[in-house]
Amino acid sequence: MGSSVQLDRRAVLKGLAGVTLSLPLLEAMGKEVAETAPRRFCAMYTANGMSLPKPTNGIDEWSWFPKTEGRGFEFGKSTEPLSPFRDKLSFMGGLYHPNGTKADPHLCSDMWLTGAPLHNPKPGMFNSVALDQVVATHTKQYCRQPSLVLSIDAGVGFLSRTGTISYNQEGKPIPAENNPRRVFDRLFRGDRASLATQREQLQRRIKLVDAVLDNAKSLNKQLGQSDREKMDQYMTSLDEIETRLTASEKWIDIPIKSQDYSHLNLDANSEGEPHEYYRNMFDLIALAFDADITRSVAFMLNREDGMGVSDTFPVKLGLNRTHHSLSHAEDKEGQLAFAKYDLFLSEQIAYFLGRLQQFQDINGSVLDNSIVLYGSGASTTHNPTNLPTLIAGGANMGLKHGTHWRKPNTPMSNLYLSILRSMKIEEPSFSDSTGVLQDSVFTQV
Amino acid sequence: MTDKNRFFDRSHILPLVAIGIAFWIQSELATAEDAPANSASAVSTDATAFHEQIQPLLQKFCVRCHNADDMKSGVRVDQLTATPEDRQLFLLKAIQKQVDDGVMPPVDELQLTAEQRRTLNDWIVSTITAARARDTKKNGSVRRLTVSQYRNTLKSLLLLEEDLTESLPPDGISKEGFTNQSHTMILSPLQVESYFNIAEKALDLCIVDESKKPVIQNFRMDLGTAINPEPCPDKLILGANNFLLNNPDVLVTELTPKKPFAYEPFFMRKEYDFIEGYVGNDTIRAWKKFNSIYHSVFACMRGSPGYPKGQAFQVVPEGLLLRPAIPSPEIFGQSDTYGPMANFKISLRELPEEGNFRVTVRAARYDDGLLIDSDSPALANDNAISVPLSELTPNANAFVLIKDAGIYQLDVVCGGDPAKDLFSVTLGDRQFAGELRKLTFLPARPNDEDKSKELASAFLLVRLPVGELKLSARLGDNSKLRRLVFSRLDNSHESAQRFSVFENRAPSLGVYLGLRRDCGSTLTQVGQPQRVASGELEEFIFEGAINDFPNPDVEKDNVNYLAGIREIGVRSEYTDGRDMPRLKIRSVEFEGPYYESWPPATHQNIFNASATENEPAMEARAILQSFAARAFRRPVTDAELDAIFSVWQKSFASTGNHRQSIKDALLVVLNAPQFLFLIENSQTPEPEDLDPYELASKLSYFLWNTAPDQRLLELASKNELLRSLDTETERMIGDPRFEQFINEFASQWLSLDKLDVVSVDSKRYPRLTRDAKTQLRREPVQFLAYLIEQNLPLRNLVQSDFIVANEIVASYYNLGSQTENGFRFVPIKHGQENLGGVLTNAGILAGLSDGRESNPIKRGAWVARKIIAEPPDDPPPNVPRIKEDDGTLLTLREKLEQHRNQQGCAKCHSGIDPWGFPFESFDAGGLLKTGATIDPRSKLPDGTEVKDLNGLKAYLANDRIDQVAFSFMKHLACYAIGRNLTYNEFMFLQEQGKNLRSNDYRMHDMIKFVIKSDLFIKK
Repeated sequence: MGSSVQLDRRAVLKGLAGVTLSLPLLEAMGKEVAETAPRRFCAMYTANGMSLPKPTNGIDEWSWFPKTEGRGFEFGKSTEPLSPFRDKLSFMGGLYHPNGTKADPHLCSDMWLTGAPLHNPKPGMFNSVALDQVVATHTKQYCRQPSLVLSIDAGVGFLSRTGTISYNQEGKPIPAENNPRRVFDRLFRGDRASLATQREQLQRRIKLVDAVLDNAKSLNKQLGQSDREKMDQYMTSLDEIETRLTASEKWIDIPIKSQDYSHLNLDANSEGEPHEYYRNMFDLIALAFDADITRSVAFMLNREDGMGVSDTFPVKLGLNRTHHSLSHAEDKEGQLAFAKYDLFLSEQIAYFLGRLQQFQDINGSVLDNSIVLYGSGASTTHNPTNLPTLIAGGANMGLKHGTHWRKPNTPMSNLYLSILRSMKIEEPSFSDSTGVLQDSVFTQV
Repeated sequence: MTDKNRFFDRSHILPLVAIGIAFWIQSELATAEDAPANSASAVSTDATAFHEQIQPLLQKFCVRCHNADDMKSGVRVDQLTATPEDRQLFLLKAIQKQVDDGVMPPVDELQLTAEQRRTLNDWIVSTITAARARDTKKNGSVRRLTVSQYRNTLKSLLLLEEDLTESLPPDGISKEGFTNQSHTMILSPLQVESYFNIAEKALDLCIVDESKKPVIQNFRMDLGTAINPEPCPDKLILGANNFLLNNPDVLVTELTPKKPFAYEPFFMRKEYDFIEGYVGNDTIRAWKKFNSIYHSVFACMRGSPGYPKGQAFQVVPEGLLLRPAIPSPEIFGQSDTYGPMANFKISLRELPEEGNFRVTVRAARYDDGLLIDSDSPALANDNAISVPLSELTPNANAFVLIKDAGIYQLDVVCGGDPAKDLFSVTLGDRQFAGELRKLTFLPARPNDEDKSKELASAFLLVRLPVGELKLSARLGDNSKLRRLVFSRLDNSHESAQRFSVFENRAPSLGVYLGLRRDCGSTLTQVGQPQRVASGELEEFIFEGAINDFPNPDVEKDNVNYLAGIREIGVRSEYTDGRDMPRLKIRSVEFEGPYYESWPPATHQNIFNASATENEPAMEARAILQSFAARAFRRPVTDAELDAIFSVWQKSFASTGNHRQSIKDALLVVLNAPQFLFLIENSQTPEPEDLDPYELASKLSYFLWNTAPDQRLLELASKNELLRSLDTETERMIGDPRFEQFINEFASQWLSLDKLDVVSVDSKRYPRLTRDAKTQLRREPVQFLAYLIEQNLPLRNLVQSDFIVANEIVASYYNLGSQTENGFRFVPIKHGQENLGGVLTNAGILAGLSDGRESNPIKRGAWVARKIIAEPPDDPPPNVPRIKEDDGTLLTLREKLEQHRNQQGCAKCHSGIDPWGFPFESFDAGGLLKTGATIDPRSKLPDGTEVKDLNGLKAYLANDRIDQVAFSFMKHLACYAIGRNLTYNEFMFLQEQGKNLRSNDYRMHDMIKFVIKSDLFIKK
């Protein structure tokens, strides 16, 4: 982690606009950071796989994966809405979680962002850390919220029928939020009481770190010829923690960038019109990125195996059967209906990419400074190989798009490690990764 | 790319010879930086000689390749001076050997003359002698506690059962394999932040609000046929492959235990509304109300259906009978992921959120019969007691008169093939059921009305008492059943002997805690399995901290019927499939959080000062003084106490909350370097004795992997520890905490973690299951523990006439019949040519393979590093991998030879492969290969030829025992002091260690030798 305690001055200055300039100067902010574009990550999960119709049904054009590979690929009918973003996205084929093929296929959403060996869990461990949380650990010092965890259903669901795709460093599920109004209030309104508690806790922790530091310093003076290196590391660590806590405390006082919220319909909810719900959630993510409130987002669009309200969405859209039941369809009509649900989802994703594209940012748009991952933990239902995966954005992090990349039996964790490296997060590995992706859309890994 | 990496692209000749230099000294050399530096101040009278004679030689013959830029084989000669640093002495020794052997300079380079060789050699000898005569400069040390040391220390300091250390990053591993080496211990802000969070959480758990009554959950589930007079009328479900016991056979009672303090009983919620449920595999959505404790607590068998012999479980009036729970394979889809067969569990919605719990199982060994295997013939003949069908119908009050007590065989005679019908029989109060096997024809009996031929099957061996035996039986619809025949067996009868062994076996009772999920097993074992040897019901207690077990982490208002279900598993443990009397479970009781007193011991342990209500400051100071002294493992200084006390003062001044202020101060103590580090504080550059408290800590973190106990600290306070080292070492070896040392040291020294990451080809090695791996990994640890416990000579490490095994391990070596000790490791005389010593521990051999093929290189390198301390160099960069499936018909050995004959590889491999070839008789599962043509012959580096692994073992145990002992002591010393050895220390062990040979290198002698040497007791 080094000395990465600098805050994004740009975000702070934007926050300062129109406000008195007598606010505390953030000494933690370094000059070099000020002009560096932020690096963000957003993961979006859809359950039950995508429609990859059987050849005998004669509707190949409805296959989610493009028929041809490489730069000359053509969008299928279910991904057509994404075609305006051809140069900003890539299809990734042949990916899988090696642990996924060993585990019960219903676990595919549990491990999508973690790659954990859920077939043989470590005693006491629930799961392992998810990609968005690794990102959050490295980006939290630049923004107000380490991460934003969203799902179609609030809470966590339960193991093997998860309702969240995000797991913390200890592998515990992070409860997701699903209500646009609650998300908005928390992110953009900042409730006073919780801020006061937050401040109190931070101040207490700062005092205690101070006391530990004082004690350590006096001990350090008494030490004679002893090896100082370990003590130095310890002091440096304490210093850094203190700086970080102090910076967090200061965030509380800095106003949020002023934005236009007029298009939000905060009454939208998961029981209403599906597209209205998704669009408002996507608007909130885009606004949160634009205001640099967070740099890590995970959003579970729908849940596996008929769980939760999203199972009924295809019915609401006039596709007759529920999501899980459609995913099991073998007949032409069923597979076509399943593909049409993919089409609906593609429209929503296209809307989201469009929103990110509209917000101006350092060196381009917010989309250029964000890596968006969209996919499922199964190719078709219960088949945990060749995971449907789309990568978008991130032009400023070296992503070169406009291709249908494919390499059979590539660990998903290698893609994740490539995302981390592109974000300049120098983790040696992620989960069961065996390296980064070679010759793919990632050019700075 | 570093300069080192260029090595393969260019000339081959130079580097390969250069590797030789690094060959045996490499690991000392490369990582010796952390060893205390030698005094560079000593002025040598040889300085002139060095500059005039030696340096020009080195310049001319060596430096061209071994310089800062090129650093062939990682070796630099250009830095050598007249007074080399300690770490360079290893290099000098290597140069001497290389030049002596004529390996360096390489053949196609400029050569030294004989005279020059002698000059160089003489200089090296005198320089090393001079260097060793100088005192090594010491500068104390500061070592962080390892994760396991921190965990153990926190636990004993706070009396806290719960493990909070999961969030700490794992310790780095040194080249020797150790995690406690100062140079691999990194401290990051993330880690320090974790220390804060752990300490905060720990103090929150330990310190309670005494004025609040604790809330305690306590219930019992009783099991037995029709035990519940008012069973739940609903049909209960718990998802796929859950076999719920019949509602009348289960009784749940919520209890209010007697406690010596006031508390609030917790009663489970019985009324629920759920919208999500299941029908078969489909989710259904509709709100439904539930109201019964039996929708909150379920009694359930789980596991794939069927059981190889008999029924997995049976409910009888006295309880639930369980056969051993057969573990499931690891991979989904091959058979099941639903946990072992015959796996009973209580599924329930609510358990306490934190604290300790206690599960009490009332269980007994069932007075069981032994179901007969298919190869035993029926004995049914006219001399035996025969009971015809007419007396067997369930309503008939049948009795059979047993005149002689003893072991009987029960045969079932049928009038036709009963196909797969279940046969069940009740003898007195005892019930037995199973499929009939292997029916044989009996001659038609002239007196029978039914003229059709009769079939008979040997069914059961059972011990019967004298007297009238009540009897009933059932076979399908009974239409095929003819009669039962009881034949008494002589005690000498093979079946009778088998039964005698069987009836003396005791099942092991295991308790688990976890959560329900639709697949796989999240049940984690609570404590150790306990043997149930009595036929009378006894109570068995299992305890743990609830948060050390998988927690469903589900929000309270989850609307799914099956979300967040907790589970308490109860099993008869499976070892190797031997016949085992069934385990009878009468009841399972849960209590949690479990407190003996209120406030709990964790609280009283901290607030142990006499309360002086009017003077909270006095009390606080006393509390802090006592706690900090225990945390720092020595008395606190006034300055330290003032600093800690001032935290309390400030906190108390601003909050007025005494308890919270104590927590704040203790949080500072638990994050202080005095707690987190092992500090040896040197005042001068000269070697000094350790301070008595430093010695106490060093000793206890060595032999116990945790903080010193009261006695060690007392001896330290009286300054008597140094002269009590012999007795204290003996005492510490005998203490249960010594296991914490053995586990760490043996695993790390012998690289046992390698087995954890091997992915076994289960088609080739079906017996190397997950559970077998777990136990085989423990074998070398238990073996070493036994050698030390018995203070045996070290030669046993490589060659012994016994193994140390439990039933699973013994069975893996086909020695299962030699032990009846369940999971307990005991010494077993193996009587086999190819066993004994750690070299043939299957876990080690399998760990040093790829799970498919044996690997002589991995095994050879392991012997070189671990057993004889002649570590090979790391492989150079860009070494091409040897392909195992390259389409050629060469054996791995032949391919290896090809590889070795490449010039870049030969030199290194000549120090590795000869140690590995003798292992070629052993497959990747660690057992003797069968069939294949194997060539285990090897010519060892010193020219000795061995014929196979037994030859190698004999060679190590006899010819090279000094070197094996050195290796053991070197690793032991390295682990004990937490750093690499200096040259002097290294040579000291090599030279002085030999004195222990006269007493056969007994284990205690070597441990004491390390502890009493300067490398341990000086700083």
